[in-house]
Amino acid sequence: MNLSLPENKKIRFLRWFDFRSWRLGMLAYILNRVTAIGLVLYLYIHLAVLSMLTGGPAQWDPFVALARSPMFLALDVLLLAGMLIHGLNGVRVALTGFGIGVRAQKPMFVALMLVGAVLLLAGALKIFME
Amino acid sequence: MQGGTRKKFVQLARCANTLMAFDITLRMFRYRPGQAAHFETYAVTVPDAANVLDAIEQVWDKHDRDLMFRHACHHASCGTCAVRVNGREVLPCIAPVKNYLDGAKALTIEPLRNFSMVGDLLVDVAPLLQRQETAGLVITRPVENHLDGKPIASAQGLDPESVETVPFNRFEDCIECGICLSACPTMAASTKFFGPAGLAALKSQLDKTTDPTERARLLDLADDEQGVWRCHSAWECTETCPQNVRPAEAIMALRQAILARKFGFGK
Amino acid sequence: MSAPHVLIIGAGSTGSATAHDLALRGLRVTVVERGEIASGTTGRNHCLLHSGGRYCVNDQEGAIECIEENLILRRIMPHALEMNDGLFVALDDEDYAFKEKFLAGCAACHIPAREIPVQQALQIEPFLNPQIKAAVQVPDGVFEPWRFCTSFLATAKKNGATIRNFTQVNDLVFQGRAVAGAQVFDHRTGKTEIIGADLVVNATGAWAGMLAAMAKVDVPVAPTAGVMVAIGKRFNNMVVNRMHLPHDGDIVVPIRNTSIIGTTSWRVTKPDAIEIPQDQIDKMMQAGQLLMPILKAGVQRGVMAVARPLIASANVDARDFSRTFEAFNHRKQSGVAGLITISGGKTTTARGMAEKVSDVVCAELGVSAECKTKTTPLISYRDFYV
Repeated sequence: MNLSLPENKKIRFLRWFDFRSWRLGMLAYILNRVTAIGLVLYLYIHLAVLSMLTGGPAQWDPFVALARSPMFLALDVLLLAGMLIHGLNGVRVALTGFGIGVRAQKPMFVALMLVGAVLLLAGALKIFME
Repeated sequence: MQGGTRKKFVQLARCANTLMAFDITLRMFRYRPGQAAHFETYAVTVPDAANVLDAIEQVWDKHDRDLMFRHACHHASCGTCAVRVNGREVLPCIAPVKNYLDGAKALTIEPLRNFSMVGDLLVDVAPLLQRQETAGLVITRPVENHLDGKPIASAQGLDPESVETVPFNRFEDCIECGICLSACPTMAASTKFFGPAGLAALKSQLDKTTDPTERARLLDLADDEQGVWRCHSAWECTETCPQNVRPAEAIMALRQAILARKFGFGK
Repeated sequence: MSAPHVLIIGAGSTGSATAHDLALRGLRVTVVERGEIASGTTGRNHCLLHSGGRYCVNDQEGAIECIEENLILRRIMPHALEMNDGLFVALDDEDYAFKEKFLAGCAACHIPAREIPVQQALQIEPFLNPQIKAAVQVPDGVFEPWRFCTSFLATAKKNGATIRNFTQVNDLVFQGRAVAGAQVFDHRTGKTEIIGADLVVNATGAWAGMLAAMAKVDVPVAPTAGVMVAIGKRFNNMVVNRMHLPHDGDIVVPIRNTSIIGTTSWRVTKPDAIEIPQDQIDKMMQAGQLLMPILKAGVQRGVMAVARPLIASANVDARDFSRTFEAFNHRKQSGVAGLITISGGKTTTARGMAEKVSDVVCAELGVSAECKTKTTPLISYRDFYV
């Protein structure tokens, strides 16, 4: 895909995905957007799933069984990853956004993501252990 | 230089120890309104010390005089030549060809993003310069009389109309090359965004003035839906700026100044 | 009857200043330039706003032009200049012996100059060679070439001029033997068209000979290349010159965060894409380090070479060609009417050159209008993009 083409004028944000120019800050920016879309989608799915409660145990119990399958638990881990990335990066954006640690935005991102990785590991263990 | 003489130059250059020449391939973006954009490949030979701009100029000189590209000062002062080399925004006038020889692949040269294209590497920089003008950035600023932290005696200006001491002055660091606008993902999403260069200009001008009316005007421009609040912290502007202007930091500093004005702290 | 139409070829410093001058005199002006503004000699110059000190001994005519224009430019584009003065320093006994001649030259050319104690010079410029024997301060300055030209062009545009960059002249158009315009190729549109003009001004600098050849006339322009080396750090506030007759590598011009060492001088046959011999670069670096040893520690940021449009004289070395300028009226010289060439000179004297060629243009067209550029402040270069 040639992202420079003038024909792409209408969908210019596609240029976000010209990975040749990505640096750490841009990667964080992209991750934040991707996880945001994922979390919003999750929210709607969550609401849809909850609405199953109106169908009584007949509808709800099979779903709970499905939710306990390893495949579904893996999706839970993915959800946790998205939350951690978005939340922790959000802390960085908020801090730098008001002038705190602007020169340290890159180490800050790395440190927060390391914290995220540890929390993700702990979370994943908990999800699969229970 | 004629073909024969040129060959001799290259051979000579290869013989001597201190002299070298590189054969390189440039993959250049070619475009004219109404025609399909495409890449064309050119082979050129450049001397050891050449920068990418020299290679582009060779393409123009030896292969195609219809190639449109901007250049003037060749030392990172005018800001006209900015392009993307292998996807990243650079000033080709100070980008050594040597730095790109790893893997000996072709260098891909494309115009800046987020500007309307005029043809080949030429983009319409009017939106950038109009923003700078709106910000009212004066391109020189007075400087403290020291270099590298060493304080020095004040300059005795030789302006014949005044013999008193005058401060030194400097051109602003920002050369209005457009690289930050090209690299900024917000700019890609919204053409109305005031942009990193424009916001950095507001900050530079704010630092220069104590006049409350002017300071209010500058802060009003920054405190806008399309001003500092539109920035979403990708830091690409600061990363790519060839002049170390650090526009992202200017944006964050403006936010602080705006909040201080709104809530009356940090006087 | 509408005002006469003048076509200016070349948007370097001379063409830009001429467009401003003629537009201010009320003429209709079109400028064509084959590439970007200032993409030729003006762009790749030393950025030195001459005080005239450099020429005050061997070329006093050039030096007087420099100081006069220097003072005018400070008035009409004050915000587009770094005005930090310049130092001429004596490195050895020979330089020191030259000092009296130098001061006398400055006095003769009305260049304000004052000797300052070596100690004070080293205080102001701590990175100077500590061995210097004398220092003289003169009102040198620094301009930024592209903004220099676009300031003139923006003002010209405001006064009605049409500026067309990326428009190449293919050939001149004639009525009989007289030049009546030019056939141009617009790179943006890919179209060839004819621009008619009552008079054509050849402001193509080092390329003047090539354009004049289209009209089968001669101009004695000798493209003389010079190498400059840009170092990616600034070490001096003021321009630093060596106090002797102009020579290779005897000046360090600071601009923004860069230092430019210059320059050499050799004649070239073709002014485009000049190849730079490595020994010229080494020579620059060595000579520059004599003035400021710290330059050795700087990173070489770029090397540029371009041809100066000097007026040739027989039996004179390229370095010694005068830096003055000349307007050639080809009607008087070769019987080809409608074409005037302006060449020689320096960016510092561009306004003066424009005044002179505009006087010739107005005389030729029978227009009586006075030059007003000495006192007219230029508008922002950014307005070129309005």
